Amino acid sequence: MALDEKVDIDEARKKEILELEAKISSPNHYEFLGVPSGATPEQCSNAFREASKKFHPDRYFGKQLGSYKARLERIFKRLVEAHTVLTDLQKRQAWLEANPLIRAAVRAQTGTSGVFRVGEAPSQKSDEEKKRDAERAARLARHPYLAKATRTHEQLARAREAIAKNEFSQAFTFLNQASQMDPNNVEVKTLLNEVRKKNEQIRADASFKVAREALERQDEDAALSAFKTAVGASASHHEAAYQAAKLLERRGADPREVVAYAQKAVDAAPDNAQYRLLLGLQLELAGMKALAKKHLDEAVRLAPEDPEVKKHGKRRWSF
Amino acid sequence: MAEREPVIGIDLGTTNSVVATVQGSQPVVIKSRSGSNLTPSVVAVSKAGKMLVGPIAKRQAITNPTDTVYAAKRLIGRKFSSQHTQDALKVLPYRVHAGEHDDIRITLGEREYSLPEISALVLRELKADAEAFFGRPVKKAVVTVPAYFNDGQRQATKDAGRIAGLDVLRIINEPTAAALAYGFGKMIAGKIAVFDLGGGTFDISVLEVGNGVFDVIATGGDTYLGGEDFDNRVIDWLVADFQKEHGVDLRGDRMALQRLKDSAEKAKIELSTARETQINLPFISTPQGGGAALHLQKTLTREQLEAMCGDLVKRTIAICEQVLAEAKVKPIDLKEMVLVGGMTRMPAVQGAVKEYFRRDPSKGVHPDEVVALGAAVQAEALTGEGADVVLLDVTPQSLGVAIAGGYVRRLIPRNTTVPTSVTEVFNTSKDNQNTVKIMVLQGEAEAAHQNELLGEFILTGLREAKRGEVEIDVTFDINSEGIVSVSARDRETGQQQSIQVTASGGLTEDELKRILDEQADMLLEARAGEELKKKQGELKALAKEVTELIPQLQEATKGSEFGQDAVSKANRALEQANKAAETTDLVKVTESIDTLTRTISLFKGVLQRIGR
Repeated sequence: MALDEKVDIDEARKKEILELEAKISSPNHYEFLGVPSGATPEQCSNAFREASKKFHPDRYFGKQLGSYKARLERIFKRLVEAHTVLTDLQKRQAWLEANPLIRAAVRAQTGTSGVFRVGEAPSQKSDEEKKRDAERAARLARHPYLAKATRTHEQLARAREAIAKNEFSQAFTFLNQASQMDPNNVEVKTLLNEVRKKNEQIRADASFKVAREALERQDEDAALSAFKTAVGASASHHEAAYQAAKLLERRGADPREVVAYAQKAVDAAPDNAQYRLLLGLQLELAGMKALAKKHLDEAVRLAPEDPEVKKHGKRRWSF
Repeated sequence: MAEREPVIGIDLGTTNSVVATVQGSQPVVIKSRSGSNLTPSVVAVSKAGKMLVGPIAKRQAITNPTDTVYAAKRLIGRKFSSQHTQDALKVLPYRVHAGEHDDIRITLGEREYSLPEISALVLRELKADAEAFFGRPVKKAVVTVPAYFNDGQRQATKDAGRIAGLDVLRIINEPTAAALAYGFGKMIAGKIAVFDLGGGTFDISVLEVGNGVFDVIATGGDTYLGGEDFDNRVIDWLVADFQKEHGVDLRGDRMALQRLKDSAEKAKIELSTARETQINLPFISTPQGGGAALHLQKTLTREQLEAMCGDLVKRTIAICEQVLAEAKVKPIDLKEMVLVGGMTRMPAVQGAVKEYFRRDPSKGVHPDEVVALGAAVQAEALTGEGADVVLLDVTPQSLGVAIAGGYVRRLIPRNTTVPTSVTEVFNTSKDNQNTVKIMVLQGEAEAAHQNELLGEFILTGLREAKRGEVEIDVTFDINSEGIVSVSARDRETGQQQSIQVTASGGLTEDELKRILDEQADMLLEARAGEELKKKQGELKALAKEVTELIPQLQEATKGSEFGQDAVSKANRALEQANKAAETTDLVKVTESIDTLTRTISLFKGVLQRIGR
């Protein structure tokens, strides 16, 4: 066993190293730093500095370390991670967002009054108990089922973190991982769906923006293709579809092509009179009178006072 | 128990270097063998072909400008083609040219040297000083570099240590070292700032100190902002003025340039205490095609100097603002403010610092020595049992990978405590992309190509799929030795590639080996030479003894056949010995020594018996 390894570290410290190492995969930075949930950045920094006096690899420079060399490096890197997250407001929030259980614990610790009660929970357990807890946690973590669950949970946590930071493509990746490990996890499925939509939306928005810029440059070809990309990325981006249709119309494209995009716009936003109007007029041009009338009627119903609608609508009434 | 091996701390400076150690739990500067605390970082080859280092080299600089190298630190670990190098070349009187892989080489005397070799000469001098101090060999050292040095510059400094025969335990940052020395053994708890304006570089670091832990919160700087730049302003002014007056460009004359540099530095130093100073350079130029020699004579006031260098001072303060912002510290929150480096003696610098930090700098710090003292503290902390100090240092520059579109994704932002390790997931950017090139970059620029490329590798055999579907885990790891390794793993296939980023300090491993081998050979030769000399001396002494004994023996054994025989044998042995003494063959010399020793003992035996 690692504890029996002959190295230049005293027994008590060896034990501490092994115990802390067992906690490395825990996502709870507070626990790893040994501070109460919701500890202030100052407390976290102090704990980090105290811990580095024990675990910084430099403290054992030039000593015979065996497997402990790697252990110390791992522990210290994990300490750096915990410290970085807990002392950076944004990172901490993203992390808490992603770990609702820990956030709940933080709420419970710090209380609604906002007054922080220093170091309660951890000190209530005796060292013996803490050691047993750590051992139990380490044993459980090795169980294949739990290992899988933990990994899924981890990925999910990362995904949440990414979402909180608005990094949806990252989140998408993590969720994909999670769903591969646990395809039936409802939480993963819902989130995946949401993120996918959000992701599409973002891509569509980006293309739409590009198209708008191209229009300003009067580069219609580029604008058109960007609008089309936006529609392709997200079917629900009605404005992109409408703009594509308008642009096609203005350029004298085949009415059937215009209809295809106008139809998409109407599908995504059925209550928009403008969209209906365009679709109706184009359908008429394409020779589909009956359908055209249906959409024009709908446009008039939606916006009877709109001058454009009135104009075209009126003409139709006179027939 | 044997006494512990001595360890030293070295501040390898742009203009001066210092070596220190910890004695009786106090860091102390080791004086050079000539008795001074500072050793000029100057290396020269004299006209007679002798290698000169330190004060002797500095003293002859004016008369030997092309073969005297100073401020080598400004070039170490840099690329020849870089803008910085090209700028520096304009004012350097020694011969600098490009090496094989865009590194920098300097011709000194007959030989070409790499920058690490030049710095190694200075380090070896300091090592010898330390050995004289301890009276035994010294190998282990902590060497400091400016906090803002990149990996290449650090590696080059490490190489220099290796060439000098030092075991460089660790490279640490100068302002950190200064803080270590300042806070060591004191009961300080709180944030301190170290403002380090040296001969060639500027650094500012903010640390939180308490309970033996030195936690670097943020660090920043400019590796091309230091005393040399202040000197250059004065030189520019002198040259421009001279050109206007006499129509002669002094820059073309290396000797004149060296003299200008010398007096510019002197004037600058004088103006830290005096209000004005004279610059007198008689016979600075002799016009071509005859005519009277030209002299340069100017008065420089402190105000003039401050006007010339105002923007340089402002630059230091701008960097301070940036670093304090990154550390999320206001000047008022600082507990102490430590000034390091000779340039902080300049009143304009002190004034600007005082105004920005709104406090007087801490007293009791020797700006030239504090860095070396700190390096010694760290060396002691690493190797000793006693020093209860932990240094939590940070990466001065961000590390990341190049991503699609020529941008950088930073995995380890600057000012992250090391050792550290970060993993992020990346996607392919093209359909059916089956390889990705991982380019490891260091720096803060947005565009990938403006950052320093530390290394690259290719991950192949990716699954063919639509873009964005293949996922690659990229892990950056900085271990406690400061070595960066990067690995990439295809999540699906488990295919993995990794590199250890060994930044090049300009020398390839082969070149370094060759230099070290050459040195080993030279040492061996030197040692063999010494032994030979000793034996030859021994042989000569023996030969003399035999020559003196022969007449005595002849006298004593007159007429006897035995005597004749012995004398002729001895003569033969002498003849041989004389021949051997001419050669450098150690074996023959040793043989002759044996023969003569036997002859002598034989003679003595005979004489004794007859005498009786």
